Amino acid sequence: MDSLAQLLHLTPATLWMIVKVLLVFGGPFTIASLLTWVERRGSAMIQDRIGPNRAALFGKWRLLGLPQIVADGIKAFLKEDLVPPHAVGILFWLAPLFAFVPAVLGFAVIPFGQSFTIGNTQYHMSLLDPGNGMGMLYPMAIGAVAIYGVLTAAWSSNNKWSILGGMRVSAQMISYELAMSLAVVAIFMRTGNAGPPTFLEAYDPHRIVAAQAGLWNVIPQFLGFVVFSTCMFAETNRLPFDFAEGESEIVAGYLTEFGSMKFALMYLSEYVHIVTAAALIVTLYLGGWQIPFVADPGALLSVAAFLAKLLIVCWVFIWVRWTLPRFRYDQLMALGWKVMLPLALGNLMLHAWWMHRAAM
Amino acid sequence: MATVIKEVELSWLDRTYLWPILKGMVITFKHFIRQLFTPTSKRYTVQYPDAKKEMPAGYRGLHELKRFEDGSIKCVACFMCAEACPARCITIEAEEFSDLNQTQGFEEKRPKVFKIDMLRCIYCGYCEEACPKDAIWLRTDYELSAYDRLEMQFGKWDLMNTYAKKDGKPEISTDPKPAVPHKPVEM
Ligand code: SF4
Ligand code: SF4
Repeated sequence: MDSLAQLLHLTPATLWMIVKVLLVFGGPFTIASLLTWVERRGSAMIQDRIGPNRAALFGKWRLLGLPQIVADGIKAFLKEDLVPPHAVGILFWLAPLFAFVPAVLGFAVIPFGQSFTIGNTQYHMSLLDPGNGMGMLYPMAIGAVAIYGVLTAAWSSNNKWSILGGMRVSAQMISYELAMSLAVVAIFMRTGNAGPPTFLEAYDPHRIVAAQAGLWNVIPQFLGFVVFSTCMFAETNRLPFDFAEGESEIVAGYLTEFGSMKFALMYLSEYVHIVTAAALIVTLYLGGWQIPFVADPGALLSVAAFLAKLLIVCWVFIWVRWTLPRFRYDQLMALGWKVMLPLALGNLMLHAWWMHRAAM
Repeated sequence: MATVIKEVELSWLDRTYLWPILKGMVITFKHFIRQLFTPTSKRYTVQYPDAKKEMPAGYRGLHELKRFEDGSIKCVACFMCAEACPARCITIEAEEFSDLNQTQGFEEKRPKVFKIDMLRCIYCGYCEEACPKDAIWLRTDYELSAYDRLEMQFGKWDLMNTYAKKDGKPEISTDPKPAVPHKPVEM
């Protein structure tokens, strides 16, 4: 690392930062575009179909339909960029960005591997080093901002379907964010109480991962895990919560007026959202980069473990989508307020009581 | 008729909602695994341009004007089919004709123009039923696409010859000529 940095006239810290930026922005993108393929092929398999398999590189290599991703990208680029005359111009242009940027930003604090030391410098595998003071609060906040993308898209389209989708999704996200945050608070409490004493705040993802060395959070916090995962499905607008789109009811919801590259960006950001949501679930509940029974997996192995878990959770997102039908809107609200919120509260109380008992 | 609604008593496990979801996920995963290990050729999907579905005998597809052994047209221009057609898409112009060397020569009448607008046709098969001479049949072929509307106006030549090669019959090239230059869409 040091010699390479010297070669490039950079300090090792700067070089590592650049590498991390490339990893953290390139990684979710690559996974997201692969996910579009997994989604289409996987859904086909689940429904006893074949799925896209005809796109071929140079008309020869079909590679299980993987070139479809490239073909879709080229198609989106070459399509006419249609702006409906009644759309609110600037916002209509900005909406895909609003949807897209928060999706990638959320990944910045997630530790995707074990920190390693070269010489006497410690390198951390997350874009923002531990102890930045934001910790897990940051992706939560960014997740809340993501709703603006949908809302802007819905509002600027100036279309009934769009605004209906936007209204629904804003109500949905707000309802589920409450339960989600409460579920996460229980983790913060547990982490602050247990694990080796460090200078890190209890809500720092590095510390949360470190505290899961013995036992992943999913076991003591199963209730919280269920609540959090459900809320993540709601946050990413995936089935069974895809009220933003709701093809059978409101055409394509907030996406109705978007075409060509704008649509592609929105579509991709949905998948980046999934990757970020999966990363959050993995970090908070599935032990991050920890491998069971391996105390010190080392940098490479830990990244591999994180990636494997991430991909499995992503697959679960897709798997659930092709298993469950969509809720009715009132069912969604009832589930959010009458089930998820009390469950999350109960989980919090339970852990608070446990900790109180243990402290006595 | 009254509908009997059966009340299903859900067990507490089913009412958790989580357990039924897991059951459903097991079902979809079984399908996934089964498809994963089924070669593409053995799945239900017919890979259309490569493999074509054999249509059942009663299928109503593109029309064909039948001919006798010696290649002369069976149709006697009686206008029954045009009369029966609910879509009004058959246009016939009759002409007098007699050539005792040809089978059809005894009939003394034949269509000069026989046109079917395939864009208007609803493939109901009434023309086939109405025909007293069994001269018009609906085939099982369903590949009907063209690059412009004119190509979908099938003339007498098209109706007699489009699938001649497939059936192993000679194309009749002298009389009558193709109504519209018909170029089949490449698949
Ligand atoms: S199939 Fe029906 S609609 Fe078509 S030409 Fe015959 S009678 Fe007319
Ligand atoms: S196809 Fe049959 S019904 Fe139609 S004009 Fe000819 S003989 Fe008559």
